[in-house]
Amino acid sequence: MNTATGYRWLVVPDDPAAEPSRELVGGKAWSLWRMRSLGLRVPPAFVVTTEACAAYFAVGALPDGLAAELEAGIRLLEAELGRTFGGAERPLLVSVRSGAAISMPGMMDTILNLGCNDIVEAALAAESGDPAFAAEVHRRFTGSYGRLVMGCTEELDDLPDTAAVLAAVAADDAGTVPSDPWAQLRAAVAAVFASSRSRRAIAYRKHYGIPDDLGTAVTVQAMVFGNLDDDSGTGVLFTRNPVDGTREPYGEYLPRGQGEDVVSGRVTPQPLTHLAGWNAAVHAELLAAAERLDTEGRDAQDIEFTVQHGELFLLQSRPAKRTARAAVRIAVALVDEGAITPADAVRRVTAEQVRALLRPEIAPGAADRAELLAHGVAASPGVATGLAVGTPEDAQHTPGAILVRRSTSPDDVQGMIAAAAVVTEQGGATSHAAVVSRALDTPCVVGCGAGTVDALLGRTVTVDATAGRVYTGEIATTAVDESEDDDLRRLCAWAEQQGAVTVAEPGAAAPEPVFDADKIPPEELREGPPDIPAGTRTVRGALFTTPDGVRAALDAGVEVIVAAHRLPVLLTAVAHREGTS
Amino acid sequence: MLDPYQLTLHTLTLRQLASAEQLAEITGQPVADVKAGLEKAVADGAVVAARGSYMIGPAGRELLDAAYPDAFAGLRATPAVAEAIEAFETGVNKRVLSLTTDWQTVEVDGARVPNDHADADYDAGILDRLGRTHEKTQKVLRPIADADPLVDRFLDRLGTALIRAEGGETDYVSGVRVDSFHTVWFQMHEHLLRVTGRERPE
Repeated sequence: MNTATGYRWLVVPDDPAAEPSRELVGGKAWSLWRMRSLGLRVPPAFVVTTEACAAYFAVGALPDGLAAELEAGIRLLEAELGRTFGGAERPLLVSVRSGAAISMPGMMDTILNLGCNDIVEAALAAESGDPAFAAEVHRRFTGSYGRLVMGCTEELDDLPDTAAVLAAVAADDAGTVPSDPWAQLRAAVAAVFASSRSRRAIAYRKHYGIPDDLGTAVTVQAMVFGNLDDDSGTGVLFTRNPVDGTREPYGEYLPRGQGEDVVSGRVTPQPLTHLAGWNAAVHAELLAAAERLDTEGRDAQDIEFTVQHGELFLLQSRPAKRTARAAVRIAVALVDEGAITPADAVRRVTAEQVRALLRPEIAPGAADRAELLAHGVAASPGVATGLAVGTPEDAQHTPGAILVRRSTSPDDVQGMIAAAAVVTEQGGATSHAAVVSRALDTPCVVGCGAGTVDALLGRTVTVDATAGRVYTGEIATTAVDESEDDDLRRLCAWAEQQGAVTVAEPGAAAPEPVFDADKIPPEELREGPPDIPAGTRTVRGALFTTPDGVRAALDAGVEVIVAAHRLPVLLTAVAHREGTS
Repeated sequence: MLDPYQLTLHTLTLRQLASAEQLAEITGQPVADVKAGLEKAVADGAVVAARGSYMIGPAGRELLDAAYPDAFAGLRATPAVAEAIEAFETGVNKRVLSLTTDWQTVEVDGARVPNDHADADYDAGILDRLGRTHEKTQKVLRPIADADPLVDRFLDRLGTALIRAEGGETDYVSGVRVDSFHTVWFQMHEHLLRVTGRERPE
């Protein structure tokens, strides 16, 4: 019994001065507490502890007293928001999610909108004036409850309405979805506990030697709605521009909108400035919160928020997705702001992002008069010129070839590794050819249509895989160089200071003995990097500019890698040295 | 079913330029048996050897094309198998390819850019969906796996790749040079097409 709160199985993470134990409440709930302790408003929540989980497995059911404490926890949320769980007026809905001290795959997903039934749906329809929204909440809840709590394996997310979902669950012999919100809550908590011993969770722990009795906590959090009245809305905010990395808030706001509406793009949102004009106080509060989260996170944040009856709630803050250009700009800016060290910055940018920035593009106007031989879907960006060949064997024996196939099978993988670009007649952006090409960072255009193989074979062609086009002959390209860009130059200098490896420009002096991968006869090439002779001090050749090649060189104790672009090699080397040390 | 010699040749269509050990990993056959089969195949002119790696030649492919209809006659005549492969193609296969794409690239302002794996929740969400799809696949392919033990072996290897990815080895989702989830899936897909005699749909 926790004497301070009187709860045996619950923690209410709302006291900034009382940091809860991660072991007891899990990482998710700890983050909620962290946000609250920064003075930020998050929807109220309580946590069922990992001790309750252990007790659940000890007795094979929810432990004594937990049902009563769940009710007490819900009463707290009701009081804070002035809503009623299962109520016919101003109903309270909650989310239920798992959370262990360390992340563990195979555990149950979040269930949203728990507490919904026919009465609640009607109440929500009346309150929001939007029966379609209320029906959608009910449908989504029933689907996720059917799948996660009842273990229904049918696809439920795409069914049109609640009745169809219920019928599918019944047809799968999974049982019935209870209409009593309290029964829903108890079953959901038990399902989260049980999921910590799912087959996948057990397999994962076994593989990594994590104790089997490490259970999970359950976070129960109030749902807030952005579509209840004209004083409500929802949106997303990036603390820095995700396209170019500029340090200015960037985001969208949807008056009278609810979560999924923004993400799904179903409704066109307004720029964030709309919020400033409509409710300046909320706007100012949001910007202050964003600043705080950016500083605390020491990184650009992507923040989801909802305004309910004029009150701002922060739902989530996480590292923002960003373009390669923005990743570089943000990392360098954070160093200038004193938020991170140059060594951190080097670890914030991936080699792949830098390769994307340095990728050549068709020079402006250069393709205007070129003959377009084929066009399709751009599956993996980049530009390459070479001889079009039709078999993986030919690709392996023709340096810099363009491999053109109807579609690709595992048989083609060796040819795709050797080829400068890949073109296919069939398939879309999610075909095997596309997935393999992206993994190899090889330019790839897919779905060019029947007859493409015949049209291209034996010709020298230029593949513009950024635009999804294939032209006759060689076309001029332009490329950014690391030395021409301030941010890249600084990042490069910082990466060199890490001392993972030395990168020499082609033609520069390098210590002997030198091993040149480009001089290996094609018949001796095989899967994976070649054996580097013992004692080699320098390696050169296209292979050693790829991530696998860099890693192999480091593992072989090589001191110098010869490459035209230093930064991708350096970043791969730093990451690899970290991963193996 | 294929005899052990045919099975060794067949495995070379799932993984080109492979060593005997790598082929044995796919089928679970003893390495010595695979080696013996490969030596016979080289002598027969069905397979080409190069420094410990093997490639199937045209004669080997002809041998397989002639063997498949008899070897898989029972499977191909079973309606439940036809339904299973159809469900595989239209359901879980599309889902796996779309999830691996989401793993490799994320959308920023309408454009796909490389995933820098900075958002652990995003990655965990994809691995979770991949895990569920793996479980669903075990159900979908049950009619084929009941008659062809190699399918269960593929499903086990997919599980192994998933666990490594979940442990932070990001290469094990779609990496080409390791037995990643996609590498094994691609092999299994090709195997299923050959077993059922279907054309690659993409």
